[in-house]
Amino acid sequence: MLEIRNLHATVDGREILKGIDLVIHPGETHAIMGPNGSGKSTLANVIAGREGYEVTEGEVLFDGKNLLEMAPEVRACEGLFLAFQYPVEIPGVANLYFLKAAVNAVRKYRGEPSVDAMDFWDLVQERMELVKMDESMLKRSVNEGFSGGEKKRNEVFQMAVLQPRFAVMDETDSGLDIDALRVVADGVNALRGPERGFLVITHYQRLLDYIVPDHVHVLFNGRIVRSGGKELALELEEQGYALYNEEPGRARRAAA
Amino acid sequence: MSSVAPVVQNPFRQQFAAFAAGRREPDAIARLRREGLDRFASLGWPTRQQEAWRLADLGALAQIDLQRPADALVDAGVLPTLDLPVHRLTFVNGRFAPGLSRLRELPGQALIASLGQALLTHPERIEPHLERLPGLSQHPFAALNTAFWEDGAFVYLPRTTVAETPLHLIFHATGDDIAVYPRLLLVLEDGAQATVVVEYRGKGRYLNAPVAELQLGAGAVLHYHQVQEEASQAFHLGGVRVRQGRDSQANLHLVSFGGQLARTDLDTLLDGEGASCVLNGLILAHDRQMGDYHVRVEHAQPHGSSEQLFKSVLDGQARSVFDGMIHVRPHAQKTDARQSNRNLLLSKQARANANPRLEILADDVKCGHGSTTGFLNPDALFYLRARGIPAEQARTLLVHAFANDSLNRIQLTPLRERLASSLADCLALGNIEEQ
Repeated sequence: MLEIRNLHATVDGREILKGIDLVIHPGETHAIMGPNGSGKSTLANVIAGREGYEVTEGEVLFDGKNLLEMAPEVRACEGLFLAFQYPVEIPGVANLYFLKAAVNAVRKYRGEPSVDAMDFWDLVQERMELVKMDESMLKRSVNEGFSGGEKKRNEVFQMAVLQPRFAVMDETDSGLDIDALRVVADGVNALRGPERGFLVITHYQRLLDYIVPDHVHVLFNGRIVRSGGKELALELEEQGYALYNEEPGRARRAAA
Repeated sequence: MSSVAPVVQNPFRQQFAAFAAGRREPDAIARLRREGLDRFASLGWPTRQQEAWRLADLGALAQIDLQRPADALVDAGVLPTLDLPVHRLTFVNGRFAPGLSRLRELPGQALIASLGQALLTHPERIEPHLERLPGLSQHPFAALNTAFWEDGAFVYLPRTTVAETPLHLIFHATGDDIAVYPRLLLVLEDGAQATVVVEYRGKGRYLNAPVAELQLGAGAVLHYHQVQEEASQAFHLGGVRVRQGRDSQANLHLVSFGGQLARTDLDTLLDGEGASCVLNGLILAHDRQMGDYHVRVEHAQPHGSSEQLFKSVLDGQARSVFDGMIHVRPHAQKTDARQSNRNLLLSKQARANANPRLEILADDVKCGHGSTTGFLNPDALFYLRARGIPAEQARTLLVHAFANDSLNRIQLTPLRERLASSLADCLALGNIEEQ
């Protein structure tokens, strides 16, 4: 469902992604691991369409459609979801209102009528349970004054309500204690299914104990340098990323 | 500019002779008018060399040969409504319009009337209060108002009288090259309570220079709302004076949508122990509009508290000014005074000027102020879009969120809802004209 071919991207004129190839089929969960600065978040942002990331080469297809030509909102309406590494605080916009606006935007895009208020409320109630979210968070402004864990939970909650076909989790585990991590992982696992794909981006292997991926890729210096099964994550846990740092050829290229 | 001043003053003096000759009113009032005219003459037409008028471009107004307005009729259909039972007084070009006014039953000795009528029936209630408040002493247009006001609203609530029904005061101006000077005198005796909505609006190219005087006795509670939706070519140069007695509470909400140049000077004197006020101002401006609040909060007695929240949303080449002074007198210990000014720019050509000022002469006080100006947060915009919300809707949502912080403080629900929808219209209009 997601095909990334020879993707090159720059930020402020600096090349961060240097030729990524990745194919994710429906029902698959892929993990991308890598050290800081390897390009993990850039990849997430390019997929979601954030401004300031320039694709200089390559393509990204979503169900065969050219994703890179779509505005961020169109990508979302097509069924793409980005769980933000740093969810944004939006004072003055209530969480519930925001969520309803998002649901209705997607429905409008699909030519469906606005969501029925009762149906929406039922869905919200059910999904709140999934991430063990307190009802009071619905009335609060989006992410305003939320703790780190609450913010990440809110991301998974939004995902659960919007029910995207493909989700990118950008370091959703960073800054979470083990309990919060479990809640977030449970939320993601509950949504896994044969029609849905996930790209889980993380710095740490720990998350992958809870969200067990089908494939693991190591991103280093803007390239996928290794791919394997879930056991690759364990190997990285033991050996760290130092192995890649010390590869002389790559190190030289990185310095160039 | 200063050489222009005497030339501009003359017409006012000539007009005044004709105006004053035609009026039948107590000598005390006639004297106040002459004093007002003299004060205007000594203050002169404002120039940009004066600090208080440095950012106001009155050039276009100075070009207009301002005349006294003709009598005019307006259709009741153009007047704003509140979807509530209200006492309604309507003034067209500063003159009372009884056909467009409706008073409901009033409690006890309360009096709500046109100022002109009340001067005939109850001069003893008016003379001790009219033009007695300090403040606006340097405001030339307030001085002109004192000289030229024809009519206005008089609200008098005796001790402990609670007016449950809100007062809806509509000041409508219509015509080109005219100046109108409506007046509001509101007297709340000890323990009285009132909710007032003042609407300034109109059609044409005119100057509206209103003055409102609000007096709160001990323990009085006032919810005052002032909605400025003047015609797009109009000038609004108004003043509000407030004096608060012991433990009184004044909640003032000022919303500014209209006019090419709209300025309100607000002078609040907390003149009794424990008096508190909330001053909540919002400016929405687009194209070449300018909105301006000059605020002075004077803490004269201990244990007072004041909170100023002034915001502006500026599109196109619009400008806003917030000049806010907190003055704490030496005796006013335990004062808690806060001031916040936040400006949202929707275009790169828009500009917000903030001039927060503190003069604190007491040593045991809490005072704080802050000012921010910025564009819409691109991260927030992206966040909304990444959830499927189209860019334009996301932008609107964020602007509303910013402005709702002010509007949500308005407890009068029908007014709040009407303003929220005016806000949407105003911004949509701005967007269309910008393209």
